[in-house]
Amino acid sequence: MIVLGKIVLGMAGLGLAGAGVLCSEGLVEVHVVENEPLGHHIRIDAPAILAPIAVRLAPSRDLAQAACAIQPYMPAIRAGLAGLRDSGDVVLVEVNQPGKHVQVSKLGRAIVVDVGDAGETVHLSVPLRAISNTIEELAATSSDTVLQKGT
Amino acid sequence: MRKSMRTPTHVATVVGLLAAGIVSVAAPAVAAPADKYLHVKVDDRANSGTVNVNVPLPLAEAILPAINNPELHDGKVSLHDAQMHGVDVRAILEALRNAPDNEFVTVRNKESDVRVAKSNGNIVVHVTDKNDPRQRVNVTVPIAVANAFFANAKNNQLDVEAALRALSDAGDVLLVTVQGPGQKVRVWVDSRSTQD
Repeated sequence: MIVLGKIVLGMAGLGLAGAGVLCSEGLVEVHVVENEPLGHHIRIDAPAILAPIAVRLAPSRDLAQAACAIQPYMPAIRAGLAGLRDSGDVVLVEVNQPGKHVQVSKLGRAIVVDVGDAGETVHLSVPLRAISNTIEELAATSSDTVLQKGT
Repeated sequence: MRKSMRTPTHVATVVGLLAAGIVSVAAPAVAAPADKYLHVKVDDRANSGTVNVNVPLPLAEAILPAINNPELHDGKVSLHDAQMHGVDVRAILEALRNAPDNEFVTVRNKESDVRVAKSNGNIVVHVTDKNDPRQRVNVTVPIAVANAFFANAKNNQLDVEAALRALSDAGDVLLVTVQGPGQKVRVWVDSRSTQD
């Protein structure tokens, strides 16, 4: 009985540690609400650490074009993300049109995009660290592709 | 005797802790000046709605030197000779810096009134459309910012990074207003992250 208890405790500990690792980079939040009766309400909260892992696992030939295209902008992207990390909370861009609203803001350690129109509202929140790691992973794909072509 | 030895130590400890607390609370307020923000507000409610942009100046200062293309390199924009029209901008700025506040240029023609003046350390340009007086453009550039554009740049360059730094150091300033029928554009710098 005591052994069983230890096994359960160990598994619970492992589960907690795993959840902790998964959530270490925060969560990517996607909320979509259709503004109509019986409209869908979709909410996805995924561990942000999965984004760079997904890029790493994706076939490099499918990402090669995007990876090469992003290369020249990497210094600016790195500087921009570092600057955003250091800056306070701010609404970076806000567009209001009749029936439409778009807002891009830096909130805490995340970039938040809110889009709303008559049909639906979309809320997206992505941790800056996840953006940074994913883009770095994508840029690394480019050098991997070049190396593979070289060999 | 032992009690009397302890009391000064306790007092010193309490005073030290209080001083440390005060310093830790006050230091950030004294040492770290608030970040400046560049705000752009485009208000065209009749047609396309409103667009608000707020950029922390340190963010712009960080990104600019990282952009390298033929036109923008190391935070400096390359100008072609044709864009300068042979005008020695450095000499003009030097003359302006030493001149007293005054209206230097006034152009009045059938289409518009243009006035260029120096006022309170700023270069101020006012343009009014005579056919439609509702159309006006006002530009205010602190002379320190105008100087920074050229101070460490080559003849055919504008040092945008230095100008941004100078803008950060300048006080709150309304840089550009453009007004037209039903449309307004404002560009300004202040220490607030919002446009409220």
